[in-house]
Amino acid sequence: MEADVFVIGCGPAGLQAAIHASRKKASVAVAGKAASSGAYGAVIENYVGVSRRPGEEILAEGRAQAESFGASFLDMNVISASAADGRFRFVMEDGTEVSAKAVVIATGISRKALGIPGEKDLLGKGVSYCAVCDCNFYKGRKVVVVGNDSEAAVSARLMTSYASETHWVRWEEAADPGLASKALDAGAVEHRSKPKAVEGDGKVERLVLEDGESIPTDGVFIELGARSSAYIAMDLGVMPEIDDTIRIGADCSTEVQGVFACGDVTGRPWQVAKAVGQGCVAGMSAADYARRLE
Amino acid sequence: MVTELNESNFDSFVNDNSLAIIDCWAPWCGPCRRMGPIIEELAEDLKGKAGVAKLNTDENQAIAVRFNINAIPTILVFRNNVLVDTLVGLRPKEDLLSALGFQ
Repeated sequence: MEADVFVIGCGPAGLQAAIHASRKKASVAVAGKAASSGAYGAVIENYVGVSRRPGEEILAEGRAQAESFGASFLDMNVISASAADGRFRFVMEDGTEVSAKAVVIATGISRKALGIPGEKDLLGKGVSYCAVCDCNFYKGRKVVVVGNDSEAAVSARLMTSYASETHWVRWEEAADPGLASKALDAGAVEHRSKPKAVEGDGKVERLVLEDGESIPTDGVFIELGARSSAYIAMDLGVMPEIDDTIRIGADCSTEVQGVFACGDVTGRPWQVAKAVGQGCVAGMSAADYARRLE
Repeated sequence: MVTELNESNFDSFVNDNSLAIIDCWAPWCGPCRRMGPIIEELAEDLKGKAGVAKLNTDENQAIAVRFNINAIPTILVFRNNVLVDTLVGLRPKEDLLSALGFQ
């Protein structure tokens, strides 16, 4: 599909960007899942005019507003992104391709670590947060990929090309079913339990699960959530800051023309009010940029 | 300019620099690409105090195996030819300077 403005993320920042871009008559497509937004499970009580309201309700109403102005929602995460010939291209979880003139990155902040015993101590000694980076070191060795979402499915499939044994530990079915099947068909062995601890003496030896199972392994690849904003930004040519935030100008523009960012991904404070304010600016800037290309 | 190491000059670089700092990376690794400019700055800051170099682990897998590198970016720190520290993961320059004892 084609869009003038592609908004990645459907939390408060992404929704406001979608609303303002579509109000400016740009065609707008929105990626992401509302439940991934930090606001989704929160109760909002410090946003002007809102004394106490579940974030989930605010997001549902914001989405309906954006839809009423013409924005379309894909309800999927981005798997990969690229920039060429002045256009931005994206591949979604189900393989759908999106081409856009302008992009708004409103991916928020994501949790990377599991926070289980052994995880921190064994970083670089078998624990990794980047399958693409480190797959090469696990040729002919045993690995476990941990994560529920499509990013974990893609990583598990990748690891089957390198490792002698690939295990995939997940406790929810959040990944696209097609991508999950590809990983399992490629030989990844599925385990349905939460991880409890990474164990080993100086290097990873096993991953212990909450159901009591212990998987002997050389590597534990932790791939939580969607493809991180930092990687999407880099795919588009934007270099994130060391803390994964994206630097923006007053018009929410990034260092790459046509790429804008708003909300938590631009740094603290992590507040709905700030996200919405930046979303408004980013949406208008992106729509203006797309129009100038015509 | 940060020296690029390979099988032929790795050992002599470690030998010739009483403090040798080696950034192990690969082109497809996002965090490594972000580490690149930080290493360039580090090399500038530590001019005359340390030798700073880069090692492409994709092209030099034997060295990666020799030092048990399982994740990149990883920074190997050698003092007087002895591996004294292995710093894993993307981190700011200030962290590196402090881990190296310069702050």
